Amino acid sequence: MSAAKRVQQWATFARTWHIFDCKWQDPYESANVIKKYLMGLHKPIYHPMNDCGDVVVCINSREIALRGDEWRKRAYFHHTGYPGGASWTLAWELHNKDPTMIIKKAVYRAMKGNLQRRHTMERLLIYPGETVPEDVLQNVTSQIRQNRLVPTRLDHIPEEVSKGYPKVMDYPEDYILK
Amino acid sequence: MSAKNIFLKPGFVRAPLQNGVGRYVCQLQRIVLKFCKSNGSSRGLRDYIEQDLVDFAKENPGVVVYLKPRRHRGPVVVAEYLNGDRVWMNMHNKTHSEITKWIDVLRTQQGDNSTTRLRKYQYTDHPSIQGPWTPFTFKNPALNTAELPNQAYGANDRLPMSATEQLRLMFEAQKLGKNEELKTAE
Repeated sequence: MSAAKRVQQWATFARTWHIFDCKWQDPYESANVIKKYLMGLHKPIYHPMNDCGDVVVCINSREIALRGDEWRKRAYFHHTGYPGGASWTLAWELHNKDPTMIIKKAVYRAMKGNLQRRHTMERLLIYPGETVPEDVLQNVTSQIRQNRLVPTRLDHIPEEVSKGYPKVMDYPEDYILK
Repeated sequence: MSAKNIFLKPGFVRAPLQNGVGRYVCQLQRIVLKFCKSNGSSRGLRDYIEQDLVDFAKENPGVVVYLKPRRHRGPVVVAEYLNGDRVWMNMHNKTHSEITKWIDVLRTQQGDNSTTRLRKYQYTDHPSIQGPWTPFTFKNPALNTAELPNQAYGANDRLPMSATEQLRLMFEAQKLGKNEELKTAE
């Protein structure tokens, strides 16, 4: 292989590092997005037998949002293998123990039926907060777009923006706000 | 790829080497017809030998033809090719016309191409004119200098506009054209 072709090969199969902000995202919905990048399904060169998956760095996994009352209803099953070793952990309990576990299990489950998923999962890095190690962050060259709009809290909107926002009517002078 | 194909020789689809553009070189070099003189399963092959084999040998002077009678064994045709491939074909209970067609297949094919697993159904020496794809093709160049994570690149930009946002924009437009909109009845 000539030098130019070798460089071409490196360029085509270079691993890209993506970052994904889990804040206010549904882990099961975003797992389907993250999965595509981890497996390299978003690339035109994708083939199940070539190794073209990317690295995905998830941040803010502590801030994920589950649907409805899933925090209380969804249970994660584990069995130690011994009789009576079954245990069911509720989503909120699991999240308190390890805030990265729910997103990790969601991505793992999204790749069901894929023999490579244990190895593919090695390329998924999850951090509970904003802080990412410097050696990881310096590789990141791309960001995955979120599924859901992150809502802004009312008390996080600056004063001048909320003042200038159009109103239908003003409260009367003698109106007492509760 | 399934498990039953795993021991097949892998290969690509290929053009037949321009054979026949200038001159034609018959790729079949040797053909051995093995048959039994008495068994009924060799009937078709015996018919072929009686009626067509001499014509076949005359038309193809480049092919060595061997006959191998053997007692109480099944009829078999073995073809050997210029590239060293060897094709073994069972002719058990095949009729005269079937055997004529199969031997024509063996004569015209280029090596043993039925036992290759095609790795892809297409092949080209020039995969791309504009250069192969890389992860940086079609990328937004602003990402090169962007400080990631950045909400400008991470937020969903494909959501439909909310009613609140639409109202706000309408309000802004109204403010801009305030003087023109204010018109009296007369």
